[in-house]
Amino acid sequence: MLTSCDDLFQYNPNEETLLDKDKNLTARNIEKISRLPVSDTTRFILMGDSQRWYDECEEFVRSANQQKDISFVLHAGDISDFGLTQEFKWVNEIMTRLKYPYVTVIGNHDIVANGSATYRKMFGPLNYSFGFGHDRFIFINTNSREYAFDGSVPDISWLKAQLADNPDKRNTIVVGHVPPFDADFDKNLEKPYTDALASDPTVKFTLYGHQHRFYEGQFYDDGVNYHLTTSMGARGYMVISTWKGGYNVERVEF
Amino acid sequence: MKKYLLPLLLFITFHSLAQEVGLRHRRSWYLPDHLKLQFAGNIGFLSGGPGYVSRNQTLETDLLFGFLPQKYGGDALVTTTLKTTYSPWRIGLKNDYYIRPFLIGAYLSYTFGPQFDTKWPSYYPAGYYWWATSFRPGAYLGGKAGRNVVMNNRRRSLEVYYELGTYDLLIISYVQNKSFLKLHDIVSLSLGVKLGFN
Repeated sequence: MLTSCDDLFQYNPNEETLLDKDKNLTARNIEKISRLPVSDTTRFILMGDSQRWYDECEEFVRSANQQKDISFVLHAGDISDFGLTQEFKWVNEIMTRLKYPYVTVIGNHDIVANGSATYRKMFGPLNYSFGFGHDRFIFINTNSREYAFDGSVPDISWLKAQLADNPDKRNTIVVGHVPPFDADFDKNLEKPYTDALASDPTVKFTLYGHQHRFYEGQFYDDGVNYHLTTSMGARGYMVISTWKGGYNVERVEF
Repeated sequence: MKKYLLPLLLFITFHSLAQEVGLRHRRSWYLPDHLKLQFAGNIGFLSGGPGYVSRNQTLETDLLFGFLPQKYGGDALVTTTLKTTYSPWRIGLKNDYYIRPFLIGAYLSYTFGPQFDTKWPSYYPAGYYWWATSFRPGAYLGGKAGRNVVMNNRRRSLEVYYELGTYDLLIISYVQNKSFLKLHDIVSLSLGVKLGFN
């Protein structure tokens, strides 16, 4: 009822009106994650592409809440379909019913219209990183097509600086929406990007969404495994376990 | 020049008076039949503009210019809207009051800004995104109440209306997610006033 009163009057589909509880979610959820107990193995969920699949996303939450020993959930992007603030709010409403905190990476649909401005206000920076246990997570905007392939996205120099900043040699897990072999990824940046990952020995695997299918492989024969999770519409997600020097990926359908 | 001025002024005054004697179809066809001012409804925080009404008073078409200040919208947005409203039934009340208990209408809005596209740029494959972000079609139901008055010897009407509306992208979201989304999630309220000139 609170939400319906909040939205009784609407001024424009592209308005960016947010209540305080819907702001700065990335920093707030990282703060929650930082207070979680750390063990030898970290288990987390990768899901994505919730765009206009709210009913399925609710079913995902019910399924995810039954998993054991999960610390947090990663949303691989395309939170919204039309880049509307209203859609971001609906998905957040569903995702806050998870027993775990969740963090996101921006997808191409989240950049449409005023989407990226809303994403900044609601979640936070488009590129960011945090550490937990033996792992370090780097979230990077890889939606090159939304920037007309102008060479700025993904930000390779930012990525290299993040990879270099790892004094404890923790496992590095890079998370993006568009995988580098996709047509929506800047062809001129594909090699610099994949080389940056391959030249860092702490990068064993990297995570994406976007193609609405489970897909995995060592596509560049460079020791880095690429894993794609499917969409909410296809009713699937991944449970990932990591430990010092190893990891495991499990596909779940709901 | 001076000796022509007075007769000219008299003529203009007389001419315009003659036009006003209770005969609404003598108004020039291009002069708007009414002005509206609307609050909310996804076409601005406030929007206003001229409109025309059919001879039997059931069909109104308006051109509204809307503005959403950054303070209320997070982003300052300018929108123009063409809307058409059909209200078939009029119930007369005492003292020149009346209600039109039911109205139904549709609109097409255009929001200005470089972040909104009508035709997607060439770096997208055809059909990559199927909707335009600048144009937004919507529809609404509502009702209104009004009163006929005489102001400065001229017939005028004042109306207040409400509309419950939604738009294409929300309707699609609702149809595909009837478990999570309720009708009130996609419907919002707008309120307005109309000053009629006949």
